[in-house]
Order: sequence, then structure tokens, then C-alpha cells
Amino acid sequence: MINSNYCLITGASEGFGKALALECASRKMNLVLVALPGAELHSLAAFINRNYNVDVVALEKDLCIEQDCLDVYTEVAERQLPVNMLINNAGIGSTMLFTEGGISFYQKQIKLNALATTLLTHLFVDMLKKNGPSYILNVGSLCSFFFLAKKQVYGATKSFVYFFSKSLRRELKSEQVYVSVVCPGSMNTNASVIMINKSCNWITRQSFMDPEEVAAISLDGLLKRKEVIIPGKVNQLFLFLNSLLPGFIKRMLTNHQMKTLRSASTVEIKTPSNRQPMMKTQLLSTTLQ
Amino acid sequence: MKILVTGATGYVGHNLAKTLAEQGNEVQVLVRNLASSNIPQHKNIRVFGGDITDRRSIPAAMIGCEEVYHTAALVKIFSKDPSLFQKVNVEGTKNLLNEALENKVKKFLFTSTCGVIGPSPGLPMSEADPRIVSFDNEYEYTKYLAEKMVKEYAGKGLFTIIVSLSKVYGPGIETHPLSVNSEIKKFVQGRTAFIPKPGTLAANYCYINDVIDGHILSMAKGTAGEKYILGGENISYRDLFKKIRNLSGTKAGIIEVPKIFVQMWALAQWLRFAFTGKEPFVTKKAVRQVFCNKIFSSEKAMRQLGYRLTPIEKGLQQTIQYLKQ
Repeated sequence: MINSNYCLITGASEGFGKALALECASRKMNLVLVALPGAELHSLAAFINRNYNVDVVALEKDLCIEQDCLDVYTEVAERQLPVNMLINNAGIGSTMLFTEGGISFYQKQIKLNALATTLLTHLFVDMLKKNGPSYILNVGSLCSFFFLAKKQVYGATKSFVYFFSKSLRRELKSEQVYVSVVCPGSMNTNASVIMINKSCNWITRQSFMDPEEVAAISLDGLLKRKEVIIPGKVNQLFLFLNSLLPGFIKRMLTNHQMKTLRSASTVEIKTPSNRQPMMKTQLLSTTLQ
Repeated sequence: MKILVTGATGYVGHNLAKTLAEQGNEVQVLVRNLASSNIPQHKNIRVFGGDITDRRSIPAAMIGCEEVYHTAALVKIFSKDPSLFQKVNVEGTKNLLNEALENKVKKFLFTSTCGVIGPSPGLPMSEADPRIVSFDNEYEYTKYLAEKMVKEYAGKGLFTIIVSLSKVYGPGIETHPLSVNSEIKKFVQGRTAFIPKPGTLAANYCYINDVIDGHILSMAKGTAGEKYILGGENISYRDLFKKIRNLSGTKAGIIEVPKIFVQMWALAQWLRFAFTGKEPFVTKKAVRQVFCNKIFSSEKAMRQLGYRLTPIEKGLQQTIQYLKQ
């Protein structure tokens, strides 16, 4: 059977987005890949087309810009690509004290993580309804469940994504559009993360997952119409423990974390403003200390 | 021409230094152990004691050289001290690049691995293809980092070439226990070959003489900043061992092992490591490495450099003959 539908993935040229693109292609889905202008997007698109025998359309867009979001929809509609799966993956991660970040960075982060997700979903929702059963996968973060220092804005945008997805799910279910949110923990998506991976404790290392593994779990969960997808046993355990711990212990842990931050004894990683959702290790290592 | 070869006590470096010397070049080799029996012997080869991780020891061997072939690397599946990979493969390379820039070396060739490109979802992979799975071992990851650094130095004005080798086989010194040569040898001597199931999984094998020629061709004709796969034929594990059996007349069996068995073996090895400290032979992540298609295309090198592949039958025949001696 030849699948004529398309899956649209944002932030698809690297990291988790790339892993999602490869996973979808291996499931014989045609793809619309959206990413910032660059050579990687086109070589990935050509590679997937050659190897998986699916149609791949590459769109170079900066989703922080509203017009670019509109253009994504217009181009898809003009080419008459029937999209029945929308994966809102593009996002900017960060790990820094609030005062360390500039206002323009936070604006960009909020625009991409929250606004672009809302905008694209709004633009595509009618098309999704028409091509149903359809799927929307929003990429949240395990961060939405923990209130962590250095993750204020990032965590808030991911909480937005979490709330948005769960609420929207209830609206769209009757129209055969199934909304899921995936909340991954840390992933080995780039070099610096792999390096931190080495420097943290055993249990935190166990929580690290490869993006291709998370992508497979996400797609399985999405197609099974799961509401919330938490990839990885260790992450599920963290979440479970978190729900058991009484508030005062969590506060103690947070205080401890802040002390560690103030004493500057933690490894400081300057986050590049790249577009992959990622969470640095301090998250769970400190949560569970 | 005066040429520096690092890693000359290794399989590729050894053969390369000898071939360059036989072609009449003045070859300088940088070796850690002056007493090593693996040092290539030739009247055109000058031996310098030193270590790429010690920058001060490099200039003596490099001064006056027009070309540098950097084949030295830590090649292992596992090390108790993972930082060693970083130190040798990344920092060692950086030291050489810095010295090459300072000593006005004309061309710098870095020997890397197809492992940086990674497994294939279907078609043979080429130089520009994106990697489809994450890195899972320090060796490939540090070679990737080193490649990135070589490209950086290309931006600084150094003429650099990267060559990516697949599984190298053929006559030459034995340097590590998991090499294709030692697998062939054990099989020819009658030991059962355990191959991944399904036996149709394929890998790429390059013949040592082709690889050496490929190095020299890349240096002579390669475009600055480019990367070339110097591979060989893609062949399934099953076909490979059947070919070896036919060519050598060995009676040894070929058994296809399901992934789960190897995973359990890896777990056992890890437990042994945890208790006794003996380095594992297989690791959990290495299992994934074996159970995939590692096929590559050398088209670019063939087209742009005139690289040629020895047919696998011929290569195996010569290898078996050599190993039987």
C-alpha cells in the first residue's frame, strides 16, 4: 500500500527532529521537513528519499517569524500535500540563571516553543480534520513536571506545550484528530551533552537516551493515541518518585540545588541557541540527590 | 619528498610507510616505543621517538616534511579510561594539526573511519550522508570530533584531506584481536565462525593494498578540505565466510547468532568487568554495531581520484595465503 499522506516535522534537520524524520520514513510516511536554512536539511531530505522510497519536501523556514509559519501552511496547501500528522518539535533549549539570559533570547524561545506550536497547529487543524484519522505530536519535556532552577523560561514554555496538548486533545478527539505530548528526558543529541553524560552520576547517566530510541517510542505512543508519552523506564521512575515525595523534601532538594549553583561548583555549560529541545543533566541528578 | 607518517607501528601506517619508502620518499616515522618490533624497516625510513599526545616531541619528526599522513589512533572497542580516546584521537590530532600549520606542511592527510558515517538504512552510504544513529562508542565518537577539528584547520589554511576506511584486511602486521584478518585466520584454522543473524547483514571490506594506494592517491589528487571513502566491496557476513571456506578449504562451520545471545554475552562480559576489571570483548552498545548494515560506496574516490578496488575473491585469496604462512 502506498501512503499518500504526509507527516510534517518542524526542527527536522538535527537532533530529535532528525531522529523523528528517520523514524517516520522507516514507517513509510511521506514527509514535509521544516528547518532553518542550511545544507543539512536538503542532504537529509535527499538521503531519506533515496533510502526509504518516500516523498520528502524540505522547507527552509525560521518559525520564530510569524510570516514563515504562515508560509509553511501556504506552501503545503499550494502543493496539495495531504498532511495527516503534525509534529511540533522545533524548540530552543537553555540552562541558565534567569539574569544570565537576555530578553531577546527569551522572546525567541517563547516564540518558537509556545507561539509557533500554537500557530502551526491552528493553521493545520482543518487540514488534519479533513485527512483524519490524524495525529498531532507536541514535544514537551520532562521539565514540565519539575520546577528547576536554570529552567524557568524553558520549563514554562514546555508546561505551556503540555497544557495546550492535553486540553486540545479533548477538543479534537471527536473529530478524529489525536493529540499527544511527549516528555523526553535528556538526550544524546549533541557533542556537549555526550560529554556531560560522562561527567554525571550513574543513575542520571541511565536516564539519558538516544534520540532514535525516543523517536521510536514517541511514534508508537502517538499511533496508539496515548495522551502523554514518557520515554524511558528511568524517567518514568523519576516521575513516580517525584509524585511520592512530600513537598518539604522537594523544597530541601531545591535549596540544596540553589546552594550548589551559587557556589558555582556545578559544571556550567553554555547553551548554544540551537533548536533542539534538550535538558541538561542537573535536572534529575539534583532532583534525586 | 620528505614525509611524516604517524601510527607507523599500526597495520595501515606500517604498510603505508613502507610503500612510500619504496617509492623513494624520505619517510620519517614518529613512534612511542623505539624497541617495537612493528617499526617498518627500510633504508629510506628514519625513526623518531615521540608521542602525538606530547606536542614537544612532534617537531623533530615533522620539520622539513612536505606531507603528513596521520594514521595514529587508539583503536579499541572499550577502554577502562575513556578519556584516553579523547587524549590520543582528538588532542593528539590537534597537536599534529598545530605543528603542521606552524611548520608549513603542504598537505595533511587524516586517516579516519567509515564508522563516523555510520550504518545504512538501505543503500551504501557516501561521504555526505547524514548519520542515522547516535554514536555509541568512544572510538567512533572521538574520530568524529577529530574530523571536525581537521575541517576547522582546513578553514585556517591548512591543506587537509580526510580518508575514511571500512574494515581493512590483507597482508600486514597483526595489531588488534578483533581485526578482520584475525577473524579470517581463526576460521581458516578450523574455528567456527559466529556471525550475526540474519547472515544477510552486510559490511564493507577494503583490501590493504587498495587502502595504501588510496592514501597516496588522495594526497596527490584530492581536493583540499574533502573527505573520501576508501572502501571495498559490500558483502554479507554469510557470503563472506562462504567465500573464505571455498577459497581455503577449511571445514569450519558458520553459525548465525541471534542478537539476544550476543546481548547476554555482553552482559556477562560487563559483569566480569565489574568484578575482575578485565576489559570486555563485547559491550552492550557494540552489539548494536554488529547487527546493522555497514555498507559504503567508494564512488567519489573512484571517480575523482582513480581509486580502484581489488575484487574480494582475489583479496581474500592473497590474505589466506599470507595468513597460512
